[in-house]
Amino acid sequence: MATAEIPYQETVPLHHPKTWIGKYVFSQDHKVIAVQYGITAMAVGLVALFLSDLMRIQIAFPGFMEWFVEDYYYQAITMHGMIMVIYLLTAFLLGAFGNFTVPLMCGARDMVFPFVNMLSYWVYLLSVIILLLAYIPGLGGPTGAGWTLYPPQTITEGTPGADWGITTMLASLAVFIVAFTMGGLNYITTILQARTRGMSLMRLPLTVWGIFVATFLGLLAFPALFVSAIMMILDLKIGTSFFMPAIVSLGQTLAYDGGQPLLFQHLFWFFGHPEVYIVALPAFGVVSDLISVHARKNIFGYRLMVWALVFIGVLSFIVWAHHMFVAGMHPYFGFFFATTTLIIAVPTAIKVYNWILTLWKANIKLTVPMLYALSFVLTFIMGGITGLFLGNVIIDIPLSDTYFVVAHFHMVMGVSPILAIFGGIYHWYPKLTGRMLNDFWGKMHFWITFLGTYIIYFPMHYLGFIGVPRRYYENFDSSFYPASAQMLNEVITWTALVVGAAQLIYVANLVHSYFYGKPAGDNPWGANSLEWCTPETPPGHGNWGDKLPTVHRWAYDYSVPGSEKDFIPQTVPQGQSS
Amino acid sequence: MRKILDHHVAILLGLVVIGSVIFNVWSPWQFTEIASNWKFIDFTVKVTWWICGVAFVLLGLFMAWAIWRYKFHESGESHYEPEHPVLESWLTIITSIGVVIMLAPGLIVWDDYVQVPSDAMEVEVLGEQWTWKYRFPGEDGIFGTTSVKKNVNRGRDETTFEPNITSLNPFGMRDGDPHGEDDILIASNVLHLPLDRNVKVVLRSKDVLHDFWVPEIRAKMDMVPGMITYFWFRPTRTGKFEILCAELCGRGHHIMRGEMYIDTQEDFEAWLDSQVTWAEMKAGQTPEEPIVAKGRQLADQNGCFACHSLDGTSVVGPTWKGMWGREVNLADGSTVIADEAYIVESIVEPSVKLVEGFGSVMTPYAFEDDEMEALLRFLQETAE
Amino acid sequence: MAEAAQTGQGPLTTIVEDWSSDVTTFKAVPWGKAMMWIFLLSDTFIFTSFLVSYMAVRMTQTDAWPVPSEVFALEAFGYPVPLLLIAIMTFILITSSGTMAMAVNMGYRKRKVAVFWLMFATALLGASFVGMQAFEWSKLIMDEGVKAWQNPMGAKQFGSFFFMITGFHGLHVSAGVVYLLIVAIRVLRGRYDNTSFEIVEITGLYWHFVDLVWVFIFAFFYLW
Repeated sequence: MATAEIPYQETVPLHHPKTWIGKYVFSQDHKVIAVQYGITAMAVGLVALFLSDLMRIQIAFPGFMEWFVEDYYYQAITMHGMIMVIYLLTAFLLGAFGNFTVPLMCGARDMVFPFVNMLSYWVYLLSVIILLLAYIPGLGGPTGAGWTLYPPQTITEGTPGADWGITTMLASLAVFIVAFTMGGLNYITTILQARTRGMSLMRLPLTVWGIFVATFLGLLAFPALFVSAIMMILDLKIGTSFFMPAIVSLGQTLAYDGGQPLLFQHLFWFFGHPEVYIVALPAFGVVSDLISVHARKNIFGYRLMVWALVFIGVLSFIVWAHHMFVAGMHPYFGFFFATTTLIIAVPTAIKVYNWILTLWKANIKLTVPMLYALSFVLTFIMGGITGLFLGNVIIDIPLSDTYFVVAHFHMVMGVSPILAIFGGIYHWYPKLTGRMLNDFWGKMHFWITFLGTYIIYFPMHYLGFIGVPRRYYENFDSSFYPASAQMLNEVITWTALVVGAAQLIYVANLVHSYFYGKPAGDNPWGANSLEWCTPETPPGHGNWGDKLPTVHRWAYDYSVPGSEKDFIPQTVPQGQSS
Repeated sequence: MRKILDHHVAILLGLVVIGSVIFNVWSPWQFTEIASNWKFIDFTVKVTWWICGVAFVLLGLFMAWAIWRYKFHESGESHYEPEHPVLESWLTIITSIGVVIMLAPGLIVWDDYVQVPSDAMEVEVLGEQWTWKYRFPGEDGIFGTTSVKKNVNRGRDETTFEPNITSLNPFGMRDGDPHGEDDILIASNVLHLPLDRNVKVVLRSKDVLHDFWVPEIRAKMDMVPGMITYFWFRPTRTGKFEILCAELCGRGHHIMRGEMYIDTQEDFEAWLDSQVTWAEMKAGQTPEEPIVAKGRQLADQNGCFACHSLDGTSVVGPTWKGMWGREVNLADGSTVIADEAYIVESIVEPSVKLVEGFGSVMTPYAFEDDEMEALLRFLQETAE
Repeated sequence: MAEAAQTGQGPLTTIVEDWSSDVTTFKAVPWGKAMMWIFLLSDTFIFTSFLVSYMAVRMTQTDAWPVPSEVFALEAFGYPVPLLLIAIMTFILITSSGTMAMAVNMGYRKRKVAVFWLMFATALLGASFVGMQAFEWSKLIMDEGVKAWQNPMGAKQFGSFFFMITGFHGLHVSAGVVYLLIVAIRVLRGRYDNTSFEIVEITGLYWHFVDLVWVFIFAFFYLW
């Protein structure tokens, strides 16, 4: 292996701010930017959580909230979905975890372009503000077209927010894509070109690999959303007909002519499917690291884990139309996309096996981050296997647009990544702040969240089997399913309310521990990867003091036979055990 | 007891897995009884169900066991083994086999699904916000062509056109197409189909995406404006079934419901004979006074008929048939006479006095005085 | 590569070695250049999405699609010459790629003044391209009556896609002109004297990309 003597980055001067504003507001330090991303994403996520509880109350107890009319319900659906997928999960996993872990785990002083990185956050904040502008009273509120924004209903009168709401939504998405691109270019360039001595790609922790592949997916998938947002704005504002055929909207024959609604769906899902993996792959990476650290055992099959990530990433670009099996596209597409979709199950299953095999003959510490990682695996198995139902084209026919789909995607890309995020927060909080999060309340929060979400989403699959359609404001009495389904809905709603309220425990824990938490020390978990080898905790600006660390081994040397301690950090030379 | 507390994580995770199985066995919420030929879909679901279920239980219980067995001990040491290529290869191969077993029947049924038998009778379903309409091809067995606009004239500065889908031509039948004359038009939410006949359901939408779905039939497909989509099935038992819209189509999505009756062949034919053809519908339309015609046109253009019918059926909003001068029960329990003042108020501020049993989905409309007069005249006419 | 030749290894081995080495994956590639390459990859997907959408709509269109060689003809010496203006525009843009390449070459040698003038010339050619595009747009709008929402000759989407895609490309060219001018002035003022002139090369990457995209737009819009 060719080793560069002095990495270029060691000579790059960092911009050290003098003022408080420069340090904590317009900061170019990747750790501060990570916190800014994280707090903004969690704040907007709480809004989405609140909306989901409103929706659940409406579903279980129709008429209980009289003011919650149809328009509000469909608007809540849309905003909940879009906020959770884009503004919380994507922003948190890449903006917060990506920013925090990439330079630390690669052994870099900062991102390669700290100024662009800072802009990325502020542009993201702008996109959130634009999104929330939809709630300005008197303008019709946010769009109620569902997060998929399918035309023609998105911009016709029968949908709430068909003017102002959709305009802010599309503008916000376009701005978000700009923010993501600025951040994403930084992550990729940093990972490829700014690692420290001895840090080869195959010595990177899997967290970095997950973020790396996910960012690539984002940079190649978001363009399709960007383009469709532009085209839809033009359809709405100046009357082009990209997506709009000749239609009669609520009796009025519109001037549109000859457009293709399906074109939008193709563009949207060409973005939308990789988006699922943009959210999932960083979660895979984080969970792999958590399991290995807390099970005190090397991750099983590291190389296969890396190649599975890459393979999933590549395949995710040729499966998009499995979201469109009932959309009316050419039926022969069904054969192709069902096949590619089920092929993607193989590398995904391999990842699950390797997580579980890592537990085998391990020495498992059941810390709070580990609990989250374990629950992630179980939840993800459930979400993954229900994906095998929906990916198989003919099974998708009866199940699509029912609660089965809702249960599936919440399990696989709602709850799972959230559990990984919580695990990551409990894991890295000591490094970020120098204090431990409270263990007892962490466990309380964990059990309520994990068992609660399981009780919410597992029975929901059965609502799908009996044919309860999704996105219904009210279900009325239907002849094809038993009335007891409504009882199930009530149970789900009560649980959702409890889980929603339990997140306050977590917020309180974050705040309280920041001031009063137990001091953490440099390496409370006994972990190997570079972020635990910083000279200070929390790491200062530039991370590594005078000299960058040198890496001698992979990040998973736990319980190596013959070594004194059960972990050997990456900076320890080969042949030495501590 | 101490041991249980020590291992509560493993026990709870194991209970989650076992609880899921128990729920599955005990659950009264299983697939609705099928009423069509697509039994093979249910079979494919079962195959996937078993493979996935076994995988879930094995993986979940293995995990719980590993957490129990390998819980942290100060003296404990984990087994250092970065890779095991043989094990990894076997797992990959077994997974691939499982995937093939699930995929193969799926693709075979899909092949069936997309190829309509040549003897299938055709019925067209027309979706609009938020009702269903149906059309049969009539004696010649061929649907007449349709269009959304007519007399389209591309000028240099603007394109002019006339609407072709109106309350007088709700299906948008194209003028002068002989195939259309004998088409049987059913402008209501109720559809009848004969037992044991292959049916090709041709799907069309006037406005936005919809999806024609009867859960007992299993099959569904989106209806896309500007396109014609289809699926086919064969009903296998008689009875009344609910039609749902399965693709979000605006604020009235959840009330877009219809009824499908599967009849014996004789009952079906009797029902079909009682329906009107396009030629009959045209012949039955008497010329209206100019002001009434203007009122109808206004109602058309403003989409009133999307929610208010003229034939006595009430779906989204109350029907207009016989409305004028009738006593109306309001949502707040009071009653009111539907006179001119009340009707004008209901147009301008629809949410103030809601009729009992209807949601607040209507947006307020503003009309010029002469327009309002025409509209009221039209409403008065239709009431009689 | 030189090293590889000495040890008798093929290019494949070199690639594997680069990817499995530490610090940098692409040897001797500055951060800015790597970042520009990745950005261009992302941008490629934007233009691909635009062009594929255009192809999909055009192929399934039932209304008449105007014949480009007639619509975009220009009268010269009393005869309509098909695609005359477009040919000139394409020629200008490709020429500008040539001047840009020369600027990059001068950049390697740190010849500031030459770099400045060559980049200035590139920007000038780019600006004239945008100017001609504006002329073409106005001709289409005024003379032919084609607008983004209206087309007297047939399918509406003709105008919609034309204005959207050429407009988006025109924005790229305009941004490139500004970018070129800023870098050219900075070079002249000596901002990069003590470091390398890699920024010239990075600017060049962007500019060549914009030219390349035009070739595709040209092929799909004017020659189809």
